[in-house]
Amino acid sequence: MTSRAMIEAWVLLVAMSAATTALTFVEILGRSRMVIAAGVLVLAGLKARIILSRYLQLHNSRFWTRAFDLAIGGFLLLSFGLYAIATGP
Amino acid sequence: MSGTLGKLPSDRQARDEWGVLGELPGDLMMWVLIISELLVFGAALIAFLAVRASDPQGFAADQLLLDRTEGAVNTMVLVTSGLCAALAVIARENGRRRTARGWLFAAGGLGVVFLIVKAGEYWSKAADGIGIETSPFFTFYYLITGFHAAHVVAGIVILALVAWADSVRNMETGAAFWHMVDLVWVLLFPIIYLLR
Repeated sequence: MTSRAMIEAWVLLVAMSAATTALTFVEILGRSRMVIAAGVLVLAGLKARIILSRYLQLHNSRFWTRAFDLAIGGFLLLSFGLYAIATGP
Repeated sequence: MSGTLGKLPSDRQARDEWGVLGELPGDLMMWVLIISELLVFGAALIAFLAVRASDPQGFAADQLLLDRTEGAVNTMVLVTSGLCAALAVIARENGRRRTARGWLFAAGGLGVVFLIVKAGEYWSKAADGIGIETSPFFTFYYLITGFHAAHVVAGIVILALVAWADSVRNMETGAAFWHMVDLVWVLLFPIIYLLR
């Protein structure tokens, strides 16, 4: 992994963090809380994937990349389900 | 994987014999720790959301008292410190020890910035009379973010140690711990601070 690849990963992480903040402003404007919550959790999953594949260098292992994708994806789906139960339509 | 370059052939051979476990970069025990920590924080966050389901209005009211901006700033601080730790490992693999140490100190320094922002957050809550027993929301908030902050402190100590004992393997292992702290935060922050 090169320094350039790490810096690209960092730019993506900063952009996604900014997008997450932007989504919370959209929420203030009255958009659907469910859509906002889904967007926030998807961005969290994408950020986690970048940290695992680039910073933690799992990009060379298809097995571990898929295993973490499944585990974190399952965690975020369960989180969204619990959020939806509490929040309602 | 660049992290395995320069290792002894016997080490590489042993990794080949481990199957998929050998595909994990760096120290295997650090991966056991990373997965264990992810499970612990994941269980805590699921418990937080499950209890939230029993009192969504109370949790929403308490959550409004949190400062999202401070949390967002700390996200930027941690992902930037993660970059510094990653650049330290690359510099060390290329034999640039002084540069590697500089990146490690930058990563640790940003960790200190994270803790200062977090301390300010706790201080303002205490000034408002909000403590760990104020409500179920704040019990989870203090336990989960406090446990994470303790990992940041441990990470700063580990980064200082691997800056001193700066073999490639030590630096990879220390940086991996730091990235785990970063990874936990990007999952913790939206669930505790942002989902309303």
